[in-house]
Parts: sequence; structure tokens; C-alpha cells
Amino acid sequence: MVKPVVRIDDLRLEFLSQAGPFEALKGISLEIGEGEIVGVVGESGSGKSVTAMNLLQLLPRTKINVPTGTISVLDHDVRAMDEKQLQKIRGGEVAMIFQEPMTALNPVLRVKDQIDDVILRHKDVTPAEAEEMSLKLLADTKITDPRRVYESFPHELSGGMRQRVMIAMAFSCSPKLIVADEPTTALDVTVQAQILALLKERAKTTATSVLLITHDLAVVAQLCDRVYVMYKGEFVEQGVTKDVIGNPQHVYTRALLNSLPEGKAPKSRLATVAAAMIEGDTSNVIEEPIEQVTRVARTGDTLLQIKDAVVRYPKEYNLFGRPITFHTAVDHVSVEIKEGETLALVGESGCGKTSLANAVVGLNRLASGEIIYRDKNILDHEPEIRREIQIVFQDPQSSLDPRWPVWQIMTEPLTVGTSPSKAELREQAADLCEMVGLEASQIDRLPHEFSGGQRQRIAVGRALSVRPKLLVLDEPTSALDVSVQAQILNLLLDLQDEHGLTYLFISHDVAVVRHIADKVAVMYQSKVVEAGDSEQVLTAPTHEYTRTLMNAVPSLKRAFAA
Amino acid sequence: MSDLKVSRTGGLLGTEEGKTFSWEKVRQVANPEIVIAFTLFTILMVIAIFGALLQTHDPMQGDLLKRFTPPGQEGYFFGSDHLGRDLWSRMVDGLQWSMACALTANVLNLLIGSTLGLLAAEKPGWLRIIVNQFVYTLQSLPGLIILICVVVVVGQGFLTLVFTLGLLSWVVYMRVIYAEASSLFQREYVQAARLAGVSRWSIMFSHVLPGVRASLFVIFAFHFAGLLIAESALSFLGLGAPLGVPTWGNMLAESRQYMIRAPWMLIVPAGAIVTAVVTMNLVGDGIASLSRKKGRSIDV
Repeated sequence: MVKPVVRIDDLRLEFLSQAGPFEALKGISLEIGEGEIVGVVGESGSGKSVTAMNLLQLLPRTKINVPTGTISVLDHDVRAMDEKQLQKIRGGEVAMIFQEPMTALNPVLRVKDQIDDVILRHKDVTPAEAEEMSLKLLADTKITDPRRVYESFPHELSGGMRQRVMIAMAFSCSPKLIVADEPTTALDVTVQAQILALLKERAKTTATSVLLITHDLAVVAQLCDRVYVMYKGEFVEQGVTKDVIGNPQHVYTRALLNSLPEGKAPKSRLATVAAAMIEGDTSNVIEEPIEQVTRVARTGDTLLQIKDAVVRYPKEYNLFGRPITFHTAVDHVSVEIKEGETLALVGESGCGKTSLANAVVGLNRLASGEIIYRDKNILDHEPEIRREIQIVFQDPQSSLDPRWPVWQIMTEPLTVGTSPSKAELREQAADLCEMVGLEASQIDRLPHEFSGGQRQRIAVGRALSVRPKLLVLDEPTSALDVSVQAQILNLLLDLQDEHGLTYLFISHDVAVVRHIADKVAVMYQSKVVEAGDSEQVLTAPTHEYTRTLMNAVPSLKRAFAA
Repeated sequence: MSDLKVSRTGGLLGTEEGKTFSWEKVRQVANPEIVIAFTLFTILMVIAIFGALLQTHDPMQGDLLKRFTPPGQEGYFFGSDHLGRDLWSRMVDGLQWSMACALTANVLNLLIGSTLGLLAAEKPGWLRIIVNQFVYTLQSLPGLIILICVVVVVGQGFLTLVFTLGLLSWVVYMRVIYAEASSLFQREYVQAARLAGVSRWSIMFSHVLPGVRASLFVIFAFHFAGLLIAESALSFLGLGAPLGVPTWGNMLAESRQYMIRAPWMLIVPAGAIVTAVVTMNLVGDGIASLSRKKGRSIDV
């Protein structure tokens, strides 16, 4: 390694709050060489974003305390620099790419004003030259029509386009270092693949160093030369990506890799980062053994049949508030689910999978077609059937009333029509807690006292309270960390085994779907383009789109093959 | 677990959304502004409730020999007016009248405004359209002028004033509650409750109303200040309290002719109004910062 672009030595950082200091970084050291792509991977709360933010001193200095450590970026001691000096580095020698391109771009300015501004501020050029450079940069990011994008407002562009613009802006002043904080997390998988490839290509051709912050090991495998694995404010493992992922030394890295559903036998138990780890002591971690449970699909009669379903949303209204044009979200879709099996709807955002799920539970009305549940049209017998079909939403943060204790949340469906005593409800809640792997003693706590995974368990418990037959799971793990995702997937599989539940599983994650589903229906632009046994569809896809989707998913295996 | 968390995007979150009020939180956020606000508020309430005990003279009984006594002389705490009546005692009476009037009108406003707001947010369709259009109409008319017209028609008196204010100025409640409740009705936990078959009313009272409670408190305080001003303005114009009743507005009106000779006749009621209004605004700010969720204060 030649002279490092970034060098962090023994950096400690505390957040100051009224409840006392909270140690976010516990003495980390990191080095990024010239032209090197370095990944920092960890779960939410591990301190990876704090590392990135602190590199450019973007954290409010009054709210943090840095007891030890030096940060040198391009031979500048950034901790000793004042705001003015820092501003010269930011955007110039060091550029940033953020997770959400919509909020990182100014919505009221055209793309051209934003790119030109960066160039004019850091380089000594005329506006005309700046324009020429901007167009060149946009063309470099493989935008087919740079002129149109250059003249557009951010809201006129798709998420992928916006992220390309961000990348163009980041490279505009030929930076030595780019800090990318979860640059593709907000994007669809097919777009993510393009953006990652683009980022890598741009960095390699311009010999720019990249610090990539992500929670996704597969992204790291695909992109990074070296990787640092972060856990609770410490780097527990570091090294060349291939070695770290191919032959992980630290138990946490191993647990993290084992919690990924990719490459595991379908429906097997996934390893989880053990409870000991979550409590913060990394020294005595027990790795959970991976038992290979072979689950037998107990498929029975057809439970739910969706026939020619169409869901439309009004787009424009006439003078009297009557809709005149519609957006068709679900376009003549027919699928069926047998009792005890799991059907997964896979597709990108906007493909109509959630609209269809909402129609099944009754949150959306069908414009035409029908949904048959056990030989009864769901629209005719709603009240009785509704209780047999329950839903678990994506984000457990917003699906639980923040003011309610757990016992009340879990037993709310039980209070419909009857009024059981508080003691009865609490007892039920305790049972449900046990069922979903929470402690019965926690039923008096409020949702915010729980972690994301625990909250999702509460949501599952609430859905199970009325003993449903069919559970609609709308991206139940996509708001969660991978290790937590593994826990929830294990829980869902166990519950299915024990109670013979039927799942309608909505997801964009092919690896998760392969793991949990018996049948798959791939949705693209409101239609089901391919459906069948999950093994068959996902190993030998016949439709063009399914193949694109499969290839786009970042995969550890493919990253190594390359 | 520390209550300071770092979100996925690296942003700093304050305490998580949860209970909107607790004494623990009060101790944490009690800044000087809040202490002043609630001290002033307590003093005002004590005067309003125990007014009769604190009055030094009969507020209606004048002593013509002691007209225009400056403050602090001859036992007149705040001086006397053109008929030799004690301004302090009259101010206390005015406080009681104003507080009672604003409080009752405010409760009426709260009931009407939040009920309509909740109903309009819950039920898409004709009710929402009618309520919203009615509110737009009401908002487009100049409030004080409408109040004046109504009072001119129905006449003066405590009840008239309370009902006029109570029935006409609930718009702020409706707008805020409608906006907040609309977003709460879209929350997934409300949808989950709906799917479980929980009734509309139950959802409204158990999920949505607790969600807007913090905002209700805040509007209550700010709106209280607004009503105090409206009441005083109407009385000043001779349209609120009947003539002769010692209210702040009436006292201001009486002081006009003697402004030069006895400026305290103006300063005492004007000061009272300003103090009361500022206090209620501070209280509103205080409640807002006490119930601050996720580092975001409630916008009123």
C-alpha cells in the first residue's frame, strides 16, 4: 500500500445526551489506500454511519465527545480544521453519496444548477465550461440522454437516475475519496446492480478511493477490495474481502454470514447472532448450531384463489370528484394458495404486489375479478373471513401504536365483539409472547422499548391472536437487519410447522423467497409473468424479467465466481 | 439502554415516540421558560379562583373624594379610576370574567372543532367535503367583524359572548385535528385494527384521539390567549360585557378620556391583558416542548 488516503487511528467517540454519554465508537482504526474500495459492513446501530459522518466532521461538535483518536484525510488533520477549511475539502477532494437521492438533491433546483454549482465552487472555470463538464460527467454515468437529465428537476427523474446524478456530482471535482453511505439501499435490486457496477467502474477508471458503508455483505462482496466488519462500535474483523467472506475468522462475521438465506437449504433454520452478542460482550459468543430441519410441506386443499383480480387507483378526477382515469396496479392476476403452503409474490416496488395483498385482506377493493376463500367469495362473507386472514406489515415501527403496552396491542383483535377481562387478555398476551419468542414478563412494555426484530415479533403475535388460517406477510423482514431477518424467518417457519399456517409472502428479495416459499409468482408491471414451484422458477426461470431479477440480486456466490 | 440512538442513516434521534407526557420528561426538559410560564399561570389561576379574598375594596363602590389616586397611595394598590374605584379589585374581577369567558368558549371550541376534525378525517366522502368547505368559508370571513355582527344582533352578556366565541372560533382545532388525525388513520396500526374488525368508534377513541392529545393541549393554550384578546376587544368596543361590569376591555374603554391625567387607568388593564396573553403563549410553548416527539415539536 502506498500512502493512505484516509487514516483513522484509535478513534473513540461518545454521543452526549441527558441520559449520559453513549459510546458509539470504541477505538477504531482504519486505512484506505489510493484507488482502493473499502467497505464498512455492520448492522444498524453498529456505528458505521457515525464513522463515515465523522470522517468529514459532519456530526454536530457540541453533541459529541472524542476522547482519543486522529483522523487524517489526504494528509489533513481534519479534527484540527475549522468549518471553513472543512468546506473546501467536502465536495472537492472528498465527495459524499447518500442513501436517499431525493433528499440529497435540492427539489427546487434543476440538475444543471446543482452540478454546475459544485464545479464552479471548486474549480476555476467559466459557466459554459462548467456546463460542458457536467454533460460529460452525466454521460460518463451511462445516462443515455444527458441533456434531458441536465435540464430536469429531481422529481422528474427516477430513483436510479437521481442516484446517477449524485454519482456524477460526486465525481465532478475529481475527488480523491468518495464516501458512499448505503448508496443503493433505497433502490430496487435491478437498479442497485446497475448503480453498483457504475460506482465501481467510475472509481476504478478515475483511481478514486471509495469508503462504502453498507449492511449488505453481498454488496461488499461485489464491490470492495477490503472490508471492515463492524460490531457495536468496534471493527471485529478486517481484511481482503475474499478472505473475510470466504474464510471468516471472527465469530460475529461467521454468524452474520450464516444468517443470510443465500446458499442455505430452503426452509432450514438460519443461524442468528446469538443473544450473548446482542448484549454487547463479543468475547463469549456462542454460535447457534445450524440444524438442518427438513420440513415437509403439508399441502391440503386450495385455501385461497385469486381469479382475474384487477385493482385500480384513481389518477385524475372530474369536477364532481368522480375519478375519470385510473392507474391499474394489479392487472388480471390469478393465483392460488393451498392450505399449509407459502406463496411468495416477488417483484420490484410498484409492481403491484402490495396492492394485491391489500386486496386479499380487504384494504383494497377489486375493480373486477374475485377472491375465493374456501369456496366463498371473500366480499360476501367479510366479517367471518376477515378474522381468518391477518396481515403483518413491513415496518414494525409504524404498525404498532406507540402509546399502547404490548399486551394491549397483541390482544386488540380479541376485544372485537366481546369484552374479555383485562386478566384474561393479559394471559392471552403472555401465551402469544411465548409463541413468538418474547418473554411473557415484557407484556407491560411499550413498543419503543423493543428492538426492530422484537417489534416484528409483536406484530406477528397480534396477527396470530385470532388464530388465523392465512397470514399475509408484506415484506416482513425488509426493514430489519440480516441477523434479525434470520430470526424472523426462523420464527415464521416454526409457526407454520406448528400451526399449519398458510402464508402469502410479499418480498423483493429473491434469496429470502427461495428460502421460505413453496410457490412463487413473479410480478412485473402489474401482471404475474411467471409462477410455479419456487425451486423451479428460481433455478430455471423462463421469463426474461425473472432472469433479469435473478441476475441483479447481489450474491456472494456470483461475486466470488467473477 | 441509552435513549440516544443512531438511526440507519446516521441521524440522531431523540427519545423515541412513546408516552407523550411523564414527570421524568418534565424534569429533563424543564428550562427557565417553562418554569416562568407555569409560575405565571399558577399565579393567574390563584388570583382568578381566590379573587374575592384578595380584593381590597368593593370593585363597584367608588369614593368620589379619592378619584384619580395614583398607584400605591391611600391603600389603592394600583390606583383608583375616575369614579374613585379601586383598580386592583376591578382588575381581579376582570380576570375572573375573562378567564371564565375564554375557558368556557375554549372548551366549546375544543369539543366542536376536534369532533368535526376527527369525523372528517375518519370518513372520506360527503361529511369531509361539507366540513372542509364550511371551514374554508368561515376562514375567509374576517373573524372579529363576524363576532361584532353577531353580538350586535343577539345582544350583550356573558352567555351570549361565550356562545358566540364558542360557536364561531373552533376552526383552528378542526384544521389541526383533521390534519393530524388524517395521517393517524393511515397508520398501519389503525389498518391492522380495522382488519381485526375493531369498530370505527373504538379506533377513534383508542388509537387516534390519544395520538392527537398532545396537540389538543398545545392548541388549547394558544387559543386561550387568542380568546382573551377577542373578549377584551369586544368589551372594549362595548359589545362584550355589559357596560359597568368591570372587565379589562371595559376598563380600557373607560380609560380613554383620562389617558393623560391618569395613565395608570390604561396601564393596569392593558398590562393585565398582555401578562395573561403572554402567559398562555408561554404555557403553549411549554406544553409543546414537553410533549415533543422524536425531536420534532408539534406545529400549531
